[in-house]
Amino acid sequence: MQKNTFKRKTLPSLAMAGPVSLWMILFVTLPMLYIIYISFMSRGVFGDVVYKFSLESYETLLDSTYFKVILKSIKAAFVTTVLCILIGYPFAYYIAKKPKEVASKLIMLIMIPFWTNSLMRLNSWLLLFQTSGPVNNFLLSTGFIDTPMSFVYTDGLVMVGMITNMLPFAVLPMYSSIEKLSRSLLEASADLGASGRTTFFNITLPLTFPGIFSSIILVFIPSLGIYTVTDMLGGGKVLYIGNIIKNQFGSIRNWPLGAALSVLLIVITGLLIYIYTRFAKIEDMEVL
Amino acid sequence: MKKLISMLLISVLIMGLFTGCGSSTDSAKGGNAEPSTELNIYMWQQYISDDLIVEFEKDNNAKVNLSYMSDNADAITKLTAGGGQEYDLIMTCDAYMESLVEGGYVEKINFENIPNAKNINESYWTAKEYCVPYLMNYIYIVYNKDTSPVEIKSYNDLINPALKGQIASIDGARNLFPIALVALGYDPNSINENEIAEAYEWLVKYNDNVVAYGNAEQNLTNGTASVAFTYDGNASWAMSELGDKNNLVIADFEKDPVQLGFDLYVVPKGARHVDLAEKFLNYITDPEVMAANLVEYPYSCPNDAAVEAASDDYKNDPARDFAYKENVFFQKDVGNVITIYNDYYQKLKVGE
Repeated sequence: MQKNTFKRKTLPSLAMAGPVSLWMILFVTLPMLYIIYISFMSRGVFGDVVYKFSLESYETLLDSTYFKVILKSIKAAFVTTVLCILIGYPFAYYIAKKPKEVASKLIMLIMIPFWTNSLMRLNSWLLLFQTSGPVNNFLLSTGFIDTPMSFVYTDGLVMVGMITNMLPFAVLPMYSSIEKLSRSLLEASADLGASGRTTFFNITLPLTFPGIFSSIILVFIPSLGIYTVTDMLGGGKVLYIGNIIKNQFGSIRNWPLGAALSVLLIVITGLLIYIYTRFAKIEDMEVL
Repeated sequence: MKKLISMLLISVLIMGLFTGCGSSTDSAKGGNAEPSTELNIYMWQQYISDDLIVEFEKDNNAKVNLSYMSDNADAITKLTAGGGQEYDLIMTCDAYMESLVEGGYVEKINFENIPNAKNINESYWTAKEYCVPYLMNYIYIVYNKDTSPVEIKSYNDLINPALKGQIASIDGARNLFPIALVALGYDPNSINENEIAEAYEWLVKYNDNVVAYGNAEQNLTNGTASVAFTYDGNASWAMSELGDKNNLVIADFEKDPVQLGFDLYVVPKGARHVDLAEKFLNYITDPEVMAANLVEYPYSCPNDAAVEAASDDYKNDPARDFAYKENVFFQKDVGNVITIYNDYYQKLKVGE
């Protein structure tokens, strides 16, 4: 009897969930535990990790410098998220209202740029907008401007880079959410005399909220940690928390501090997901 | 049957997880009897001619595996984490040599097997028993004589507010702080916190004038910047890119010294193909070989015989034509004070 239950119940679920769980334990849980462990160690003269318990890294985090960076990063991630949602929602709505074949082609169009490495895409932004680049040349030749505009290494271009990098993560969950929305509900609303606007705000928007929420999570969390965009388009003058972490593991070589900063980032992420679960059931989160 | 298949699939998946972990142990250990046929080098990308590597492989019937670092710190990480298991030669720079030797992370090199090493100028050769210098970099100021609003003759000219948003600069605490310290009249490798704090204040003004860190040569040629604090190799690239229209000139420093740094090869502790590593070091210090390398990578070179043998283009490169070549300083190990530098560097980049 025992053996039978094992065969009928345990074995299949083990077969299905086993590999994934193993994968997650090996490549997500263990590294994360290692990061937490390292964050309590100290830095050697060489920039190596000395395995001696210390709270030094966390004490360093209390320094106002890091507080400012975190605040700045959250602000930037917040603006990116808001803009991605504002741009992404109408876009997702537009795609969802198209017939299936057209919609799948439009989705493809969003994905195609992402077949190229993100550093390539960032570099092409630089080439396009640099002082002697095509955009400036065009504006000069058409007489809109007399002297080249400085687009590169500005906060504006950093934001453009962030948005283009993150937009698909905003569009896709919202698309699947809008697409699932039952037509009959909208028709019923119209039949009862609601205007398009009322229907949108009272029916469409609330029902697609899970999609919007997953978009927020999917955009906000990576934007918080991203460092390549600020590095390349910001000219390394602006540091966000991602850059600081990268520097700790790279040129500055203070792994415990880098790990402590990563832990902080993980805590912020965890908090966000907690807030999310307070608003919506986690099962509602739109996944593709 | 289905069960069998699923079990098989699982085992394949699980096996797959570990495939990356195995180490290649096929190489000859010790290598006294049989010459090594494999050489693993860790160095900067775009820094050695591919043709020369191919020739070396053919001459020695060996395979050279090049891996590339993205930061000097990467090489230090490899060296301090038992790099000999993976690599036979690692590139690092003069500033780290003292600590690397002290920490016992590098092997002594047997120069009897590297007769060509005599071509290298001894005057700059630190930790002579443990490394072979490869190429060197002056870190100096070049500017566009047509567009720069300031004629630069010292580091202090760089904080002139007229240069706001005009400077393309290299990055890194240990590159930026020395020029500030020199500008203030201190030791470029100062370990005095008050001096470093003053240097920080100087760099805040400098930072205001910087348009971007990194990519100095592109930013000079495309007109984004009119001044660059960069390596002579990068300046050389920018000048040749502009060709006949070159309007870049090297700042005519009257008093301030410039930083000179070396990239050099070390043999990490426990390296497994030392015999082939020595052959490679002897090969790359050969004047003709290095001269050919300089055609592709026209950096400053400590190999006097190779410079002698180099092409006229190399010898007449305007990027190396400046009067104060002897007035240099070196980056030295500052020990634990590096954390003070890093803190101020971070503060500089975060902005108050």
